[in-house]
Amino acid sequence: MTEAAPAIFVALEGSAFAAAVRQSPYAYMAANVAHILSLMVFFGAVAVMDLRLVGFFHATSPGSMLRRARLIAILGFCGLVASGTVLFVAEASHIVLNQVFQIKMLLIALALANITWFEYAVAPRVRDLRPHTPLPARARFIGVTSIAIWLAVAACGRLIAYF
Amino acid sequence: MKRYVLAAAAAAVACGGAAAHHGWGSYDASKPITVNGAILTSKYENPHATITVKAPDRVWTVTLAPTFRMINRGATKEMVAVGKTVSAYGYVSTVEENEMRAERITVDGKTIEMR
Repeated sequence: MTEAAPAIFVALEGSAFAAAVRQSPYAYMAANVAHILSLMVFFGAVAVMDLRLVGFFHATSPGSMLRRARLIAILGFCGLVASGTVLFVAEASHIVLNQVFQIKMLLIALALANITWFEYAVAPRVRDLRPHTPLPARARFIGVTSIAIWLAVAACGRLIAYF
Repeated sequence: MKRYVLAAAAAAVACGGAAAHHGWGSYDASKPITVNGAILTSKYENPHATITVKAPDRVWTVTLAPTFRMINRGATKEMVAVGKTVSAYGYVSTVEENEMRAERITVDGKTIEMR
């Protein structure tokens, strides 16, 4: 525990829940496994959506593909947040000061802003397009950016332990 | 997209000097040491168990392994309890003062690998 962290994170790490995570032989390990499985589910679905926006799978209708993949992506994201929370609280005061973790959180915020932009401004103009219809340039930009940011998020996640 | 990737790369480089914690990279493997002494405190917790050991020259914080691995290999909580005498072979941290990471420990004549 480090007192250099904001009090709320010191308290989080000192909580009964965090102590239980650290003291259980299984909890931390299970959360690690769940985190990577959730990441696979999440990124698989995200890659399908983003590649469709970039122009792959153009024989499919974008609306139905995005709708189904979005559901899986949301499920994966929930798994990531839940397992990530367990990993975080165990060492909250240290991790919150870890610069790679801070970059990861910034990148996630950026990726979520990208999604919000897409869902509100671009998706309504894309979902009713027929197969083989070229998508707006903005959709392609969002697809490429999304893949790049999520890969960077995953890289940061793995690197937290080394900085 | 190029701009984002560049920004991320720049940010990653900028934080290169951050304090390292867990990887073996932040320990000096070229000069292994052996710490002998009594265990003063013992935290049998994840992600890594840690003990403090009273050596003749100073008190070392010795980072061990995830507890599930230690249990699997027979290094139970009782084995690294306060008061036990331990011999830890490992590497000195290049970041934290008086911290070392054990490659293996010997307690009660039993040697257990931590990696």
